Amino acid sequence: MKIKTVALTNFRNYRKQIVTLGQGLNFIIGSNGEGKTNFLEALYVLSLVKSYKAADRDLILNGNGPSRIVATLETSTKTIELAVAFSETGKAASFNRQAVDRLSDYIGIMNVVLFTPEDMTLVKGGPADRRYFIDVVLGQVDKDYLYDLTQFKHALKQRNELLKQMQDKKINDLVVLEVITEQMADYGSKVIIKRKAFIEQLSKNASEMYRYLTSKDDTMVVKYAPSITNDYRQELKAKIATDLSSGTTNYGPHRDDIEWVLAGQTAKFYASQGEQRLIVLSVCMALCNYYAEIKSDRPIFLLDDVFSELDAEKQNRLIQYLLKSESQAIITATSLIEIADIYKQQAKIYHVFKGSIREEQQHGQS
Amino acid sequence: MNYPQPLEDLINEFMKYPGIGRKTAERYALYTVNKFDIAAAHDFASTIIAAKEKIIQCPICGHLTETNPCSICADTNRNQTIILIVESPKDVFTIEKSGKYHGLYHVLNGNLSPLNGIGPEELNLKTLWSRVQNEIIKEVIIATSATQEGEATAMYIKRVLKDIDLVVSRIAYGVPVGANLEYTDDLTLNLAIENRHKF
Ligand SMILES: Nc1ncnc2c1ncn2[C@@H]1O[C@H](COP(=O)(O)OP(=O)(O)O)[C@@H](O)[C@H]1O
Ligand SMILES: [Mg+2]
Ligand SMILES: [Zn+2]
Repeated sequence: MKIKTVALTNFRNYRKQIVTLGQGLNFIIGSNGEGKTNFLEALYVLSLVKSYKAADRDLILNGNGPSRIVATLETSTKTIELAVAFSETGKAASFNRQAVDRLSDYIGIMNVVLFTPEDMTLVKGGPADRRYFIDVVLGQVDKDYLYDLTQFKHALKQRNELLKQMQDKKINDLVVLEVITEQMADYGSKVIIKRKAFIEQLSKNASEMYRYLTSKDDTMVVKYAPSITNDYRQELKAKIATDLSSGTTNYGPHRDDIEWVLAGQTAKFYASQGEQRLIVLSVCMALCNYYAEIKSDRPIFLLDDVFSELDAEKQNRLIQYLLKSESQAIITATSLIEIADIYKQQAKIYHVFKGSIREEQQHGQS
Repeated sequence: MNYPQPLEDLINEFMKYPGIGRKTAERYALYTVNKFDIAAAHDFASTIIAAKEKIIQCPICGHLTETNPCSICADTNRNQTIILIVESPKDVFTIEKSGKYHGLYHVLNGNLSPLNGIGPEELNLKTLWSRVQNEIIKEVIIATSATQEGEATAMYIKRVLKDIDLVVSRIAYGVPVGANLEYTDDLTLNLAIENRHKF
């Protein structure tokens, strides 16, 4: 899927802006605070009808709406028009100028894979950040996973509340605990199985990508670190005393983690800033392949400030990969100083200044 | 400016209903004051009191009724060997309207939910346990919703009944998962009851 043109009205610091994008690489160049991230955010919002970092009302230019994003896109078979609008009273989306009744029908038409500097929490953050990442990705492609996860979380809440009540001696019915435990274990087991399969596949793809970007034999693998390795039902039964005395559920998918392992070492503690960034980037690229396989259409890359902390060689390898993959990519940077001319010549370059984007006419130094 | 106190009181009464927030309650209260004449207001008030005075929970099945026992429990033409367990009186009305089920009912008045402070004690279960002691009962069908709470309630009942010589079955949910009986059409409902499975 590729964006042909996009028009922003009253979005963040853009009053009125039309951009015609290239089918391959698009560089958005500008100093800090000019509107690079805002532009990528607009494309993300067009896809998911919400931001990854802010509330709906923050998207509207100085709070004066309505704010609109309209784009024409090309899929492998046809041209479509997508639009989203935000106002003080709410938001709406339309497909080929037809308002959609349910946003869930709209989300998923346009697929994007976003890299932002905040994604570094995937390595540096806590287990909850990493679980959230897995759940969002899996949830987008597998509705059954989303259902089982939601049911698991609900049963978990019920069970924790029950354990607390039992601790306070408000209730003493072991059968109720047994029943809710079994329910939670059944949903939880399904979640565990799907996470395991997904992480295995992700690890294969991401480590290939890591090797490509670094052109070294350093191995990067992703490891599932599940809270439970045996049968979940039995494990919960065996450890019931712990749960009863602490008044909460101590084992299960809500305590899972994933680990990034670089040359045998836990990346969180050993990897440099640049290496951590490469890990996250590899994961983004791997995800793109993952979506492409399932949806038979390559998603659009949105890469925010991706070059900082990467040396010249890695910046160029990344660009080389993107060109080779024939994906559309929109990449922000403060400068392209390290990027080879042959790559720049194959890209479209835009300069953003105070909420206004202008395409560079001839390819040259920037 | 605040509403005059009597109007404010009326708003607060409407807000006691489930699903009615302040705004809707204000509309109802204003409508009542503007559009009802005094006779209509008296009628409304006495209708509420009459409903409250005349309707009781059937001491056998828990369904809402004017008679003791309810007309379903009193009807000897119905199949006395089978009990359909539902969450609310609303489900009984829905299933009766479909007209295909001819056994007895038992109304739980809710589902197990620690989060909402509902344990077995809060449900109409004691009378169920004594009803199934009667040998004439051969089967119970559990028709609680396919939600986490409905499933937990069904599993709980099944577990308590496991030593009693009784067929325990669960309504077959051709009904979309997570659905309430209330929103199910007659046809799916009949199918669901007919295709119940041993549980
Ligand atoms: N809702 C809004 N209305 C107007 N300006 C906004 C709004 N939200 C953010 N901005 C402005 O956008 C600028 C930041 O743009 P951003 O895209 O993050 O910059 P960068 O180019 O560094 O990525 C800031 O100057 C900020 O004041
Ligand atoms: Mg930025
Ligand atoms: Zn009755």
